[in-house]
Amino acid sequence: MPMTPLKSLIYKDSLLLIRDKAGLCMMFLMPMLLVVIMAYLQDSAFNVMQETRIPLLLINNDHDSLGIAIERQMEASGIFAISREIEGKTVDKNEMVQAVASGDFMIGVVIPENATRNIRKNVKRYVTGVFNGQNITPAVDSVQVDIFIDPVAKSSFLQTLMSAMREYAVRTESDFLFKEISAEVEKISPMPMTGIQLSRNQVRFREQYAMPDSRRTIPNSTQHNIPAWSMFAIFFITISLSGNMIKEREDGSFTRLRTMPCPHYLYISGKVAVYLFVCLLQFTAIFLMGIYLFPLLGLSTLTLGAQPLLLLPVGICSALAAISYGVTIGKLATSHQQAAIFASISVVIMAATGGIWIPVFAMPEAIQWVSHISPLNWGLEGFYDVILRGGSLRNILPECAASLAFAVLCLWVANQKTHESI
Amino acid sequence: MQTTPAIKIKNLSKTYRGSDVPAVDSLSLTVPAGDIFGLLGPNGAGKTTVIHILCGLQSFDSGDVLVCNHSLRTQLNEVKRLIGVVPQDIALYPSLTAFENLKVFGGVWGMKGTALTERINELLTFFGLENSKHRYIRTFSGGMKRRINLIAGLLHRPQILFLDEPTVGVDVQSKNLIIDNLKAIHREGCTIVYTSHYMEEAEMLCTSIAFIDEGKLIAAGAPEALIAQSANCSSLEALYLQLTGKKLRD
Repeated sequence: MPMTPLKSLIYKDSLLLIRDKAGLCMMFLMPMLLVVIMAYLQDSAFNVMQETRIPLLLINNDHDSLGIAIERQMEASGIFAISREIEGKTVDKNEMVQAVASGDFMIGVVIPENATRNIRKNVKRYVTGVFNGQNITPAVDSVQVDIFIDPVAKSSFLQTLMSAMREYAVRTESDFLFKEISAEVEKISPMPMTGIQLSRNQVRFREQYAMPDSRRTIPNSTQHNIPAWSMFAIFFITISLSGNMIKEREDGSFTRLRTMPCPHYLYISGKVAVYLFVCLLQFTAIFLMGIYLFPLLGLSTLTLGAQPLLLLPVGICSALAAISYGVTIGKLATSHQQAAIFASISVVIMAATGGIWIPVFAMPEAIQWVSHISPLNWGLEGFYDVILRGGSLRNILPECAASLAFAVLCLWVANQKTHESI
Repeated sequence: MQTTPAIKIKNLSKTYRGSDVPAVDSLSLTVPAGDIFGLLGPNGAGKTTVIHILCGLQSFDSGDVLVCNHSLRTQLNEVKRLIGVVPQDIALYPSLTAFENLKVFGGVWGMKGTALTERINELLTFFGLENSKHRYIRTFSGGMKRRINLIAGLLHRPQILFLDEPTVGVDVQSKNLIIDNLKAIHREGCTIVYTSHYMEEAEMLCTSIAFIDEGKLIAAGAPEALIAQSANCSSLEALYLQLTGKKLRD
């Protein structure tokens, strides 16, 4: 490869980049800002159930043991800000529905009248029946607690909320039933039952992350967010790169280069060299931010896994995929606007399908298939292999190979387009 | 002794994709080495297509083109090393200074170090731009841009210089300087192939000319000889109108 021409092209592209203040801002400041904001948002979303109290309107028509137990359990959970009236007045079911629908409360709970009495009646019949050897059906099937939810609440949030509600309900129900059964049994059995103290935690769950070696990185929102949003940011260089190429075409300097003994691969090599350096700087800046700045902002610190050097091949291959994609858009687009719109929308689509926003396993099956052909997904998986899964060079090879193959394909398309235009 | 022609075109044809009309139709002509050759014709005559083909910017369908005895079809890179091109549109980086632009283009030509810097300074002085070399191109006037555009094509001392309308949109002072400097470059042995709509300028500058219209050669020779051969023409412009007609070309 002739070095003087290549050095001159690198010099030219570096100068063009340095002089493009808006482009530089887009390539460095905006991704860093994006990473911080997204990490903050996701971190707060993870913590919302613990830190933010959800406004709940409660109508307890039972006024007995079960209702009181449910109320206590909800209060003890600490996740609800419980109101029992609106503007000093008690409300009925219809008023509650209106209050929740209008967004004044996220959730409304109605404990029905005689809930305790009905459960007690059931328990008494069961216990008596069992001791008399009879098969007795309950008088009332079950007690129905109505829960009304704000229609604006997102389904993911709702799922989390409902699973918490169910957990509290089951706990209250089992405690209450145990107490009631004990009391009934004590009435007919000479054995005292009320003294029995059963621990609630008979079955315990121990959560641990599956990792091949003992040097464990505890996954947190930073470990997920930094690689994900870095990939997203790096792919946004396609806008700057394709715009730069179109500008060169429009101002005629590319035409001049074509009249010189400057093969097309040399022209592209100059761009790849400069933009690869930029991408690696972006990665470094964002990762350093995760290590040093995030703790100062109250976010978790980024840890780089057992073999941080493996981040380099993943970064280089992902950067090459992004650069080649930018080169192809720069070749195919006929105007600045076309390149900017196509580049940004396609990167957002690749990010969405690539698991940047929501995990791939949570996507519909068809989209999951698409995610496997998203270069952002390959880069992201490569980073996760190194940072979270403690992977080796062998683990990252498939993702690196896929990114490189994508880069080669893009450059081939760009080259075909160049030959076509001569 | 017969010298090798700078350019020899034989039966050159080119039809653009999607068009039925050929842009260049079996064109044959010879540009003698050391000439200032004017390729003249109305809008859409095929001048720019011919220049683009000769510079390697455009492919051609049939025919043969030899540039300094190198085939354009098989030795394009060798041809590119021998030619300098000054496109009709300013082909410079607006956000780079004049010196940076010339350093980049010189570097792509394989020039480097002191030799390149000296050559840049020599040409900047020659074209009266030595005091503006560290100014951004975007701050230059139209005439200054034209001159830098010309310098960028001359950096590597080409054997053949292609000029596509080099004086369009410049003031009289800049135009005179450009013409004088082109004559000086020609005296140093450079063959110049030049297209223009300014017949007076072509008559003053060119040692030989060719008129083309609808992609075909209409007439070729020395300007004075062509004027003398025609019955009622006393200038190149009159001859041009006689050969191409007064009908508007769009």
